[in-house]
Amino acid sequence: MRKRFRQTLMDLASRDERIVLLFGDVSVYLFEDFKTAYPDRFYNIGICENTIVSTGAGMSAAGMIPVMHTITPFITERSYEQIKIDLCYNRFGGNIVTCGASFDYAWDGATHHAYTDLAILRLLPGMEVIQPGSEKELDVLFRSQYANGRPTYFRLSDHPHAIDTDPVFGEAVVLKDAGAAVTVMTAGPLLGNVLEACRDLAVNLVYFHTIKPIDQEAICRFKDTEIVVVHDAFGLYEAIAEVGHLKMAYHGMPDDFCSCYGRLPDVRRSIGLDPASIRESLKKKLEHSKS
Amino acid sequence: MNRFCRAVRQDILKIAKASGHGHIPSCFSVVEILCAVYGTHRHDPKNPGWDQRDIFILSKGHASLAHYCTLARLGYFDIARVASFGSFRTDFGCHADRLKVPGIEVSTGSLGHGIGVAVGMALAFKIKKSDRRVTVVIGDGEANEGSVWEALMVASNLKLDNLTVIYDNNMSHGRGLQITNPVEKLRAFGFRVEEVRGHNVAALKAVLARAPADAKPRAVVAQTKKGYGCPTMVCDHYAWHRRCPTDEEFTRLMEELDEEAV
Repeated sequence: MRKRFRQTLMDLASRDERIVLLFGDVSVYLFEDFKTAYPDRFYNIGICENTIVSTGAGMSAAGMIPVMHTITPFITERSYEQIKIDLCYNRFGGNIVTCGASFDYAWDGATHHAYTDLAILRLLPGMEVIQPGSEKELDVLFRSQYANGRPTYFRLSDHPHAIDTDPVFGEAVVLKDAGAAVTVMTAGPLLGNVLEACRDLAVNLVYFHTIKPIDQEAICRFKDTEIVVVHDAFGLYEAIAEVGHLKMAYHGMPDDFCSCYGRLPDVRRSIGLDPASIRESLKKKLEHSKS
Repeated sequence: MNRFCRAVRQDILKIAKASGHGHIPSCFSVVEILCAVYGTHRHDPKNPGWDQRDIFILSKGHASLAHYCTLARLGYFDIARVASFGSFRTDFGCHADRLKVPGIEVSTGSLGHGIGVAVGMALAFKIKKSDRRVTVVIGDGEANEGSVWEALMVASNLKLDNLTVIYDNNMSHGRGLQITNPVEKLRAFGFRVEEVRGHNVAALKAVLARAPADAKPRAVVAQTKKGYGCPTMVCDHYAWHRRCPTDEEFTRLMEELDEEAV
């Protein structure tokens, strides 16, 4: 997804001279061609996430469109107050684009795992929160939102799903409406595992690429069903719950650090987010809803 | 103390007294700095959004009352509006909101933020090949924040010679983490550093008016005193940090301001 991010930016930068990239010593080699083409619009600021966000806010105040990029937890968790005050409270726009979603850096351990970003950023007034699940979703949603003058968060993943959606910012994608008693709701790259898990199960399936604003209208269509949120992060469940008066369950993150390493599938399996575990959980839910 | 600075301090005292809010000693330490900044910046009180203006950011946002009173005296708005300072529906909060007060460029309050935003603005002006300047005031207590030093490193690395950081060295943090030798530290971080008597407007203006020479951002270490202008507060600035004067104290402090004036 990062390569698509570069392609999208290369294209946009050729037509919009307000775009400026502020990187935290990540993806720098990947953007060599951007740096060559636009040397005064690419800055490897350094390993200082707080200043990347503050600097981005200042550039926005001066009429530029900053794209702030580094590893997910370091800019969203460490620099939360900079995002809150310098961007959101000051009403300065800008794009925070991160890599290392959930367990993309599985082998690096819990310091690099990132699953609170969506939940905490959606709490900030004026913030838009996007979790593209595919390269196409990233491209379409970035073009749609990057210059809207608001702080917008894009969470990239190195493990996109291969499902072709037609993304529109703020609109959920109803992948399956079978009139079933159980509705599975998910977001981001995990859609691949979720689809495999429930392909032949009698469930409805709703997919989100936009966490904030959440598509309440789509959720309300299924308010009389049992909703099971399957997600490898916090934030989606809470956003859906705000609709109110829903019968909901969550299948996802434990209240514990994932103190393991390995690869993405290893971590997902360890917390029940591999296709087989998701399927098992949903089958139990279906049996329970029948009884 | 010149007449402008005395008038600003009188406004601060009156409004703090009436409202029960305001960090008076901290406000008093930056009055000459504010006077010198606006005396050397390009700005237009009748057109606060002028697109060629220089930018000033008060990163130590708790001195907002001094900023409001200075802007009012410069003609940005009527000082009578500031009388509602700190009240429920006021535009003039104890920390400034840029969306409410003309002349406020960045909303500050939490320490260690304004300087990073200033770096971004200065970089943007470089990219645009604009000669607009950015000046930011940070406090010595604020310099406890690591984000201040991050931003300084970045400003130096980017050679932002259109950025001036004024370090209000009012020794506010003697009871906590007082930064020692700020001149040396700022120089070590790659700044062109000048040390100035922070209550001397002419000296401050002389430094601020100087053109950049060596592709380095500039730091001005302003040696100031908390509560300057009122010896009562200078002698016991910890006690006065957040409190407002009684009627008797108010009278005495106003008299002290008159005695300090030239």
